[in-house]
Amino acid sequence: MKPIRSLLTLLACGAVAGAAFAASPTAGMNEGKADLKSVGPIAFGPEGVLFAADTKSAAIFAIATGDTAPASGSPQLKVEAINVKLGALLGTAADQLTIDDLAVNPVSRNAWLAVTRGRGTEAAPVLVRVKSGGVLEAVSLDKVKFSKADLPNPPAEAQPGKKGNPRLESITDIVFLDGNVLVAGLSNEEFASTLRSIPFPFQAVNKGAAVEIYHGAHGAFETRSPVRTFVPFKVGNEPSLLAAYQCTPLVQFPIKELQPGAKIRGKTIAELGNRNRPLDMIVYNKDGKEWLLLSNSSRGIMKISTDNIDKAESITTRVADKQGQTYQTIEAWTGIEQLDKLDGGHALVIRREGSAQNLEVLALP
Amino acid sequence: MTRTVGVFIVAALAAACAPSSSDPKPAVPAARTAAQPLRFSMEWVAATNGGVASVEVRGLDSALLRRLEQPDMTAERWARVLAVFAESSEATPSSPLPAMLGAHSVAGGVVRFTPRFPLEPGVRYRAVFNPSALAGQRAKRAGPFTLVHFVPPRDLSPTTTVSAVYPSANVLPENLLKFYLHFSAPMSRGGIYEHIKLLDSAGKPVDLPFLEIDEELWNPDRTRLTLFIDPGRIKRGVKPLEDIGPALAEGRFFTLVIAATWKDAAGAPLKEEFRKAFRVGPQDREPPDPAKWSLAPPAAGTREPLVVGFNKPMDHALASRMLRVTSPGGRAVEGDVVLSDFERRWSFTPDEPWAAGPHQLVVQTTIEDLAGNNIGKPFEVDQFERVERRLTTSSVSRAFEIR
Repeated sequence: MKPIRSLLTLLACGAVAGAAFAASPTAGMNEGKADLKSVGPIAFGPEGVLFAADTKSAAIFAIATGDTAPASGSPQLKVEAINVKLGALLGTAADQLTIDDLAVNPVSRNAWLAVTRGRGTEAAPVLVRVKSGGVLEAVSLDKVKFSKADLPNPPAEAQPGKKGNPRLESITDIVFLDGNVLVAGLSNEEFASTLRSIPFPFQAVNKGAAVEIYHGAHGAFETRSPVRTFVPFKVGNEPSLLAAYQCTPLVQFPIKELQPGAKIRGKTIAELGNRNRPLDMIVYNKDGKEWLLLSNSSRGIMKISTDNIDKAESITTRVADKQGQTYQTIEAWTGIEQLDKLDGGHALVIRREGSAQNLEVLALP
Repeated sequence: MTRTVGVFIVAALAAACAPSSSDPKPAVPAARTAAQPLRFSMEWVAATNGGVASVEVRGLDSALLRRLEQPDMTAERWARVLAVFAESSEATPSSPLPAMLGAHSVAGGVVRFTPRFPLEPGVRYRAVFNPSALAGQRAKRAGPFTLVHFVPPRDLSPTTTVSAVYPSANVLPENLLKFYLHFSAPMSRGGIYEHIKLLDSAGKPVDLPFLEIDEELWNPDRTRLTLFIDPGRIKRGVKPLEDIGPALAEGRFFTLVIAATWKDAAGAPLKEEFRKAFRVGPQDREPPDPAKWSLAPPAAGTREPLVVGFNKPMDHALASRMLRVTSPGGRAVEGDVVLSDFERRWSFTPDEPWAAGPHQLVVQTTIEDLAGNNIGKPFEVDQFERVERRLTTSSVSRAFEIR
């Protein structure tokens, strides 16, 4: 769900942490049933590899989708009431499914949806591909090439009682960046923000290392607010991550500091005001400038300038509202629930209108 | 499931469509002679192993069966011959709905479509058989034939209740970090925050007190929800606290309300609304310190519980799993934990009688009190230097002797 173009910029730059990327991303994958127990955020890596976060299994799956034929022309991806159509495809009522994420394959420009059929305990995860022309296709995971990285879930080793493990770590976003899958998560027990970097192709022994990110906020250091969504971005010459937190600040930190066990000092570059719940973020280029587009539960869509972001001072003083990088709210973009970049000039969104969720292509503002 | 059966004779178009047939007729064996029109039966059948129901078409003539067994019967071509459409009450979009996912087969003279997913209560399933989609078939003029099976809605009598809310105390710190909501049965996911309110003493809802996370922080059984108070409403100096104030205020009374409209996993609402009234006490910014806990060692040779008294209530989930006991040999002692006295008392009953000798109570430093303070690390860290200096060991121990 993150723009591959930014990743390439970073790759070209070379000043990034982590292992060098292996020759083939599907090397070392096994063929069989990718047995996802749930599906949350999804993101594309190289050569049609889709990363899917499975909170219930505490794992990230890397699936070779084979969706590697380059797009020809502008894809037609508008699907009216896609939730009703997904319900029909999966044999259930539209109100019994959730669209958990949307990711555009940057090569084929097909849209991929992470969908959960059912709201009860029998809920089943489904990956759906939307091809140009709006055709929905449920992707079978019974016989695919895939690999899996298990995330540590501590209680199994520390619980004295005999009850099942009630702990889960919800994954709020994943991004593939230069041979590493970056995973932001939040536990349902301890309140801790973790960002985990897992080398890809996955190795049995290396489960990745978590880092703690501290960022200045009004004189105090925020240490624990969970990262909601993040995106790679080059600040000056410094490959960086921009992370939007659950409670509103936009924080920047250099990627080279993402080292195992590191405590990173992030920089708060914007306060986007209260009552925010950031959902998705993309980077795009328009009129020779780079912009951030951040969808948000209550403030609609924010178009954030990156002008002079490299010279920005960390916000450490008390502010009235909306400090740091300037932004404008795009009023016309209402009801945006999922957002990804389709191509240089367009975004693909899931937009709610009453009970219907529509898949729409919108020109980038 | 109830069987839904239809018998079709092409020439007469005698298609018996029986929605929600509670009086199922048996499938009629097809009589076939070359001179007669095509006659067949269509039936919704339950899987013998209790699995997914399927649609069967029986009594087709051998020419048609052979045609359906040809290797050129791709999934797309099959979908034109035999498909199932799931129809619920939502407004239908202007373009046609896709057919339901599933697999086709021909075996023992029976043509079968098996949906990939189980049939759902309250949904109408329309099976469509259209032999005329096959070029060169004599049934070209006929069809499509439809047979509807309606799965009756579930019994939605409310039975599920809120079984517990933690912290269980009636006085909670102003910087309380979270609630755990426990339910008597699995709950449904999606849109949960609209059912949870925090009311002030005037009965007015507090504006956005909780961290609303799309993923929703459930346990694997979906019987426990973790509800974080928005940390922006707790931390000093951050924007939401400056703008709209803390969610909770010392000295005031609040009520956590769980509306009965919240649906359980079966789709039934809760049996009743749940309310937890509490008073807000002072902030707690002091990290928990195991040295301040009371510890009463039981006698050797008994299975009496080891009782640890915390000097303040601890987080219910973390206190349940972040303390353990090691034996004189350093091995973990197996047993059961019970938390009581408003999460201030931890009792551990060993599976085997206590051995005499030195034991350790091992506590992970990531354990939290009600305000999210860890051992050696308060919830709020004001200076970066202080963060660097914080404890790096992952557990602390207290020795005790069993005699």
